[in-house]
Amino acid sequence: MQLLNDISEMLQKGKLNDVKSLTQQAVDQGFETSIILEALLSGMSIIGGKFKNNEVFVPEVLVAARAMNGGLAILAPLLEQEGVQPLGKVVIGTVKGDLHDIGKNLVKMMMVGAGLEVIDLGVDVSPEKFIAAVEENNADIVAMSALLTTTMTNMETVIAAINEKGLRTKVKIMIGGAPVTDAYAREIGADCYTDDAATAAITAKEYMI
Amino acid sequence: MTGKERIINTLEHKSTDKLPWVPFAGIHAGALKGYTATEVLQDSSKLFASLMEVHKLYQPDGMPVIFDLQVEAEILGCELAWATDAPPSVKGHPCSEEATIPCRCLLPKETDGRLPMILETMKKMKETVGETTALYGLICGPFTLASHLRGNNLFMDIILNERYVKELMDFCTEVALKMIDLYVGAGMDIIAVVDPLVSQISPDHFTSMCNDSFSTIFNYIHSKGVKSSFFVCGNATRQLEVMCNTKPDSISIDENVNIIEAKKLTDDHNITIGGNIPLTTLMLHGTQQDNMLYVINLLDQISHNNLIIAPGCDMPYAVPFENAIGVQQAIRETETVRGILTNYKASKEVVDVSLPDYDNLLKPFVEVFTLDSATCAACTYMMGAANEMKAYFGNAINVNEYKYTEKINIARCKKMGVTNLPSIYINGKLKWSSLIPSKEEFIKVILDTKLV
Repeated sequence: MQLLNDISEMLQKGKLNDVKSLTQQAVDQGFETSIILEALLSGMSIIGGKFKNNEVFVPEVLVAARAMNGGLAILAPLLEQEGVQPLGKVVIGTVKGDLHDIGKNLVKMMMVGAGLEVIDLGVDVSPEKFIAAVEENNADIVAMSALLTTTMTNMETVIAAINEKGLRTKVKIMIGGAPVTDAYAREIGADCYTDDAATAAITAKEYMI
Repeated sequence: MTGKERIINTLEHKSTDKLPWVPFAGIHAGALKGYTATEVLQDSSKLFASLMEVHKLYQPDGMPVIFDLQVEAEILGCELAWATDAPPSVKGHPCSEEATIPCRCLLPKETDGRLPMILETMKKMKETVGETTALYGLICGPFTLASHLRGNNLFMDIILNERYVKELMDFCTEVALKMIDLYVGAGMDIIAVVDPLVSQISPDHFTSMCNDSFSTIFNYIHSKGVKSSFFVCGNATRQLEVMCNTKPDSISIDENVNIIEAKKLTDDHNITIGGNIPLTTLMLHGTQQDNMLYVINLLDQISHNNLIIAPGCDMPYAVPFENAIGVQQAIRETETVRGILTNYKASKEVVDVSLPDYDNLLKPFVEVFTLDSATCAACTYMMGAANEMKAYFGNAINVNEYKYTEKINIARCKKMGVTNLPSIYINGKLKWSSLIPSKEEFIKVILDTKLV
């Protein structure tokens, strides 16, 4: 069990090489893949909690996520062999006209760390692109972000397009970003607004359980 | 005391007759004149006209000439994406692929990028209002500029490539010093170093990676004989202490930081604090009364020394003008506004006001609803425009002012559905809200008024 704790701790410190070698060690020692995965995800979850409480900041989250991805890459073929499915699929992007993606990237990493598969559409994403990604990937959640008061209104456009395509009952819609509020989420018919990356991941996970 | 004296005194921790007010009207200035963000950030005459409108309507003690953190980035080769109602965003980061340092040959000169038009506007503002109004020259902070150049990789570099970050910060510090030379030369009284991204790194990383840069910059600003400010965005509660250690004259924060708690810390460092009227929930989406109430509550809870009242950051383009007017009025005429808000609650008790039979008037009836034309600048101009019509048309029209300071007038506003002040109604119909009509426009609307 010490080995699993070490994986979690090294991940929290952002030590990519250590996480990779410890994950490989755990695999070699015959730990169940799901238990090793849990060690990685719990490390990321602790980082998420610390980020929410302003105990760690963007750089620490990014290097932790990089270390997590290093471990996940080792587990990925094993998980596939064992037929382990992600909790759900999330399509994420910043809305049309918005190029600010730090927040979106953090949410993506936290969601991956929560066991979700995340399809990242990047920045400046049109409603058509969101729709196409939902259909193509059979997504469960659409997550949109905006930093500007002027671009956040494009979230409503995406929701309207989702409604028009008859996909609204199929997906949960999550929104976030500096100018966005809970009231705005209600106003435009999103399922929720979350004000930090860790809460976004927890909420997405709850939607899938 | 002039607005400029009010600001300088506050930054020097001396007494003032009133609290200073600095509306951060960047792209929003353009909205006052009907210009897009792109127009106002690229065209000197449009920028100047917009700033003069800010000066006229909002009566600032201090004001920024341009609020655009992408000026330096553009000069250094970052590709920008322009918008009609927002500042430009950096689209391409020249150092994103490879951890390189831009050539020093790119350090800003007065002929580079948009600097000719910015410097021209600064000089014009200095000549026109600079005697009485403190002018802020805003430069992009070195950490945010480094992120413009390197992109999001900068955040990982902080942990994985410390030496590179330090080199890039040194380069960005040099850029800042060049910008300070140019802006001080153009007459700016205060150099604001705007670095929204420092809230995203730990205080330890700020100290190890940014402290030297910011200390150098603030020291340089002092050596030039002008004042300094450190603008940050986001929840910078944890970073405030280390920001104070870089010794700016003032720090400006947004609504993500509790200004009452923050002020205790900045007071300990003898640094003035500015802020932090919420931009979106209040200035953009709130009512005029919400804005007044927020300011009154803030002023009731915070000590008034070392304090500048300002929006949390660059005001959104579409902030209703009356909201900024309401903020200004609450700062300048606090007790009157307190009375207005009390009367607003109590106005239900007022005997019902009777309105004219607007559909059957014999001549145009111009009704001006003001906070108080004696104290609110925008109201004074609005009332002035109406008085000019009275002088022009004589007995052919009727003109009346309803000051919101009186309970009976609040009841009238409620009955007529008047929500924004100042505004002009003609024969019971809203014609202008906050924006003062030109003489020609006003005459035309009066002549077009249909009578029985």
